[in-house]
Amino acid sequence: MVDVEKLKKIARETISRDDVRCLIGWRQGSYGFRAAPHFVGKPEEADQLIFSPLCSHNLATYLTLAEKLPVPRGQEPDTRKVALLVKGCDSRAVVQQLVEQGIRRENVLVIGCPCRGVVDQKKVEAKYPDMGAAVTADWGEKTVIFNLPSGRVEAPREEVLAGKCMTCRYPNPLLADIEAGDAVAVWGSDEYTDVREMEAGDPRQRWLFWEEKFSSCIRCYSCRNVCPMCYCEDCILDRLNPGWVWRSANTSENTAFQLARAFHLAGRCIECGECERVCPVDIPLMKLNRKLTKEVREKFAFEPGTDPESKPLQASYRPDDKADFIL
Amino acid sequence: MCNNANPYVPFTATIEDTWFETVGDRCVKTFKVILDDAAARANWSHQPGQCAMVGLLGVGESMFCISCSPTEGDFLRFSVMRMGKVTQALHELEAGDKITVRGPYGNSFPLEEWKGKHILTIGGGIGQAPLRPIVEYVQAKLDQYAGLTMIYGARTSGDLCFKNEFAEISKNDDLTCHLTIDLAEEGWDYNVGFVPSLLMDVNPSPENTIAITCGPPIMIRFVLENLKKLNFDDAQIYTTLENRMKCGFGKCGRCNVGSLYVCKDGPVFSYATLKDIPEAFA
Amino acid sequence: MDIFKLRKDKFADFLASLGGYKLFAPQKVGESIRFAPVTDAGKVELALANTTVPPKSIFFPQTETLYRYALGNTEMHPPAEGEAGVVLGVRPCDARAQVIVDNLFSWDVDDPYYLERRKKIAVVGLACNKPCVNCFCLSVGGDPASTEGLDLLMTELDDAYLLQPLTEKGEKLSQAVAAVAEAAETGDLDEAEKLHRQAREKINRKVETDGIPQKLPGLWDDALWQNTAASCLGCGICTFLCPTCHCFDIQDEVEGIDGRRCRMWDSCMFKEYTLHASGHNPRPTRRERTRNRINHKYNYFVQKFDVIACVGCGRCISFCPVNIDIVEILRQVKEAR
Repeated sequence: MVDVEKLKKIARETISRDDVRCLIGWRQGSYGFRAAPHFVGKPEEADQLIFSPLCSHNLATYLTLAEKLPVPRGQEPDTRKVALLVKGCDSRAVVQQLVEQGIRRENVLVIGCPCRGVVDQKKVEAKYPDMGAAVTADWGEKTVIFNLPSGRVEAPREEVLAGKCMTCRYPNPLLADIEAGDAVAVWGSDEYTDVREMEAGDPRQRWLFWEEKFSSCIRCYSCRNVCPMCYCEDCILDRLNPGWVWRSANTSENTAFQLARAFHLAGRCIECGECERVCPVDIPLMKLNRKLTKEVREKFAFEPGTDPESKPLQASYRPDDKADFIL
Repeated sequence: MCNNANPYVPFTATIEDTWFETVGDRCVKTFKVILDDAAARANWSHQPGQCAMVGLLGVGESMFCISCSPTEGDFLRFSVMRMGKVTQALHELEAGDKITVRGPYGNSFPLEEWKGKHILTIGGGIGQAPLRPIVEYVQAKLDQYAGLTMIYGARTSGDLCFKNEFAEISKNDDLTCHLTIDLAEEGWDYNVGFVPSLLMDVNPSPENTIAITCGPPIMIRFVLENLKKLNFDDAQIYTTLENRMKCGFGKCGRCNVGSLYVCKDGPVFSYATLKDIPEAFA
Repeated sequence: MDIFKLRKDKFADFLASLGGYKLFAPQKVGESIRFAPVTDAGKVELALANTTVPPKSIFFPQTETLYRYALGNTEMHPPAEGEAGVVLGVRPCDARAQVIVDNLFSWDVDDPYYLERRKKIAVVGLACNKPCVNCFCLSVGGDPASTEGLDLLMTELDDAYLLQPLTEKGEKLSQAVAAVAEAAETGDLDEAEKLHRQAREKINRKVETDGIPQKLPGLWDDALWQNTAASCLGCGICTFLCPTCHCFDIQDEVEGIDGRRCRMWDSCMFKEYTLHASGHNPRPTRRERTRNRINHKYNYFVQKFDVIACVGCGRCISFCPVNIDIVEILRQVKEAR
């Protein structure tokens, strides 16, 4: 449980530190059931921070989205820390970024926010349509409370929370310099039921399913940009010389894009579900990523982003690694 | 303008001759090309400053300034620096090979307006390519202008373009040519130093003069500063800009500098226009 | 021109009467609703406030072939001309957006691909009875029942559609269904007028856009751009889903010896959009790109074509993953000193 006033106090103190450049959290969105990433540079800006079921964004992506410009002559590079508010799933991204040395431990200050689930935008908007005014939310006992203009409503969590939250095994941050609240009980378990259902299906039907989804992709690259693990400065899917994947948006190229990205995430995807959340055409990307995370779990007993001391899957070898797929 | 009803479909052209201007990783190769189609050749009309989209089918197109004056003859010249996908592919070509050409695009130097004035070109490296047509044009019509001064420099003598034309230019008494390279070299008898410094040494009078400059951004910055020190008016200073381009005629949206499209409102701009556009000197 | 009333149970007949045209209408493509060719009239979806991808995709497809060629050969073959068509169910904001974009595609040089489609494809609009929460068309010169850019305007009444032809093309379409329709009566017209008025009242988002084009140049170095861009992911959602965005890339695609030069949507929010081959980028960070995007729509386009390149459809607000809100940005511009 995170007390928001306590969180704001932590944020104010943190941003006042000499060694902290900025603090990233969430604030209330501009309409409906939205929150927005909030960048705090001064203590008074911390007043806008919230922590509620609306805080879907995995802010860890900003650690690697930062644009590195050449430092002007006479100036030193700013090596101060970025303070980051993280939920359980978000913290896995930070851990994995550290494991891969995509970021440095001394450059980030993690403020852990134990989480009881975030909403699925579409589910909530379907349940309470046409919400123009900004709505605040909070967690109840196995429910989510919304403060609608018409009054307070309480919805059973399974009706409004994101799918990933219903199977969440890591609601508490796995890494934190500052704990912003007490740990919450783990209430989810994940048997990869959605993936097993797909695996059991007819291969032809499965292909038609994905062909339909990939043909609707508009190559906005939002899935890739929002992903905290997609941070290659020169992304292979942008390269046009040679052109691994063409920019034309047709089923063939879109499929290549999606599958290439999924494979580049194998052993690295921490299942935050942001890719699926941001997709404007609702491609069920988590089905794809979770297939690979299930494979990784089963074959290598490995879960990325859970152990800061671990080595990246693709960069390490254990003598007892399963090799039954090698002829 | 270009080709038929479809402005995206280029003409084909044959390379009549091609030679290297400079050597090294980012070397410059000049192509002298003739449009294949007789009607296209007859209808083609360009002015100094204008550009064309040059490319290869299967690779792509890039925008290059047309580096020759219409007074030189019925051909087109492009000087291409080897940088990326398209330019690397172009560099593989030899005389007899085919390329595609679309254009001419953009505005041109207001040479009619400049009649009676003294023309001063200040170029650096490959930046001489868009200035060369001015030099050729004014030389061809020198009686209509008050005079022509050329200041041109590069990092090394090897980086100077159009070296094969210097001998001819030096014979011309009506054209004053100042060359410079950054560092002294054995066998180099001319000025040593950066182009902006040479400009101050030449100390041209702003009286009835138009200055046109093109080169690396850092050179342009100091040249502009120095031209102001020499009391040149904003309206007396011209440059050509470049940006990444795809369509070349104002549709694809990317080449804008502020509200101006380099492919249509440019590439020729006076400093008077640019100084109020913060994006112009990014 | 006669206004008709078409009972809802005759709507299928209307669609059938358009059989001679290539018909596009909102349908489920994958998991979201967008304009697509109609093969099954039963799949047409008109209930949603608006489609995810705007109907610009009909006139300016996301990917289209400019011409084909074979390596080793210099002949270039543009595609054959398209057929006459009708795009149905277009909201007035999107129809207006298309007129705005027409300015660009006919500026000095005609874009034959786009303009041919504009000539051959009629636009049948559907007035908004229920604007979405993020619509702000009224603030940028639009209206939930605007007729700009439409050949025919439909208004959904309780049990019928009002069909109001606006051009010769539109009249031809409505005449084709005249046999199964009735003449609209005063009561019907009044009902439609009432629905239009109610729709206007339902639009919550309002922003004063007067003076914004003039104000923007002075805010070039304002902190607003960095603040807005801080959370921006640099994806293409706002631009791809925007009905007035029209930027594109041109690429060559070759398989074996068969090649084509094609164009596809591009976004000024992508870093590579302005990246020079030398590595220099005049808009190196999201701050410059965000500033450019807003300036292009609310300043540069106004300077060139005297109209704001935004129709208030609200898609960029609804679909931005990080809730960057253009209405909020405009408000800050308006209030800045």
